[in-house]
Amino acid sequence: MTEKPEPKVPVTPPEQWVDKYGDYLYGFAMSRLRNPDAANDCVQDTFLAGIKALERFDGSRDIKFWLRGIMRNKIVDQIRKSIKENKVDIEAEDEALLESFWFKYSGIATTNPDPWQFNPRKSYDNGEFWIVFEKCIAQVKDPAREAFVLRVLEDQTTEEVCKAMDITPNYLWVLLHRAREQLKLLLEASWTGENVK
Amino acid sequence: MFTCKQVSNALSKEDYEKMPPLRRFFLRLHVKLCVFCGKYNRQVMDSQDMCRCYREHEITSEETFAQYRPQMEPLKKDQLKELLASQSK
Repeated sequence: MTEKPEPKVPVTPPEQWVDKYGDYLYGFAMSRLRNPDAANDCVQDTFLAGIKALERFDGSRDIKFWLRGIMRNKIVDQIRKSIKENKVDIEAEDEALLESFWFKYSGIATTNPDPWQFNPRKSYDNGEFWIVFEKCIAQVKDPAREAFVLRVLEDQTTEEVCKAMDITPNYLWVLLHRAREQLKLLLEASWTGENVK
Repeated sequence: MFTCKQVSNALSKEDYEKMPPLRRFFLRLHVKLCVFCGKYNRQVMDSQDMCRCYREHEITSEETFAQYRPQMEPLKKDQLKELLASQSK
């Protein structure tokens, strides 16, 4: 029988991980996946991967953040799985946008997007704003939300996202455009903090 | 100087804050002055700023987020505890 590899530094024993970090990691997974079953799977996969990789933990950061680092990969895997089950098809409206003169000429959808109804920069120091922001991201429709989470929040490269979603870079651009558009509308409708006109 | 298409492509591929300083300077200059893509790409840059700040706040304001984010069901926690206990023996 092989011996369990020991971590290089003292760490919270895995038996206590659920009580200490379970809620934190579940909440984090929900903010990216918004599906309770997928989030539960993600937490479980993260803990199991953490146990296997524990001997590589060097204590340079809190184990909670080390586990969250592992979880980022698991979140990407879960989104990939969800995309495989619900293949991304290009919509007629998006196809028209890709064929439009402005897109071909300048790589943008429109020259005059509506300006913000409030200055979001002035709300950056307000913790409540980020809670509203997170709730708004959850309301963006898939597959635009999935593309946004992978590309922007999880910082995957364009190539990685296109491969995971089986789409072209141009269509990824359209999905990100849709996500930003929806997010802006949702924020304008939801944010009632200071600096709102 | 960049063309509108180059600016749009660059912003769709990377966060402008992570670009080398000179590239970032010319890109910002283009967005500030361009009557064609300026308004649009300014909003793309705003969105990048916003997401960067959100990720930072997720770490620095962890307790605030914890109050609002959903928590794991107790039953799921118990099942997971059993699994981890068996795996870590």
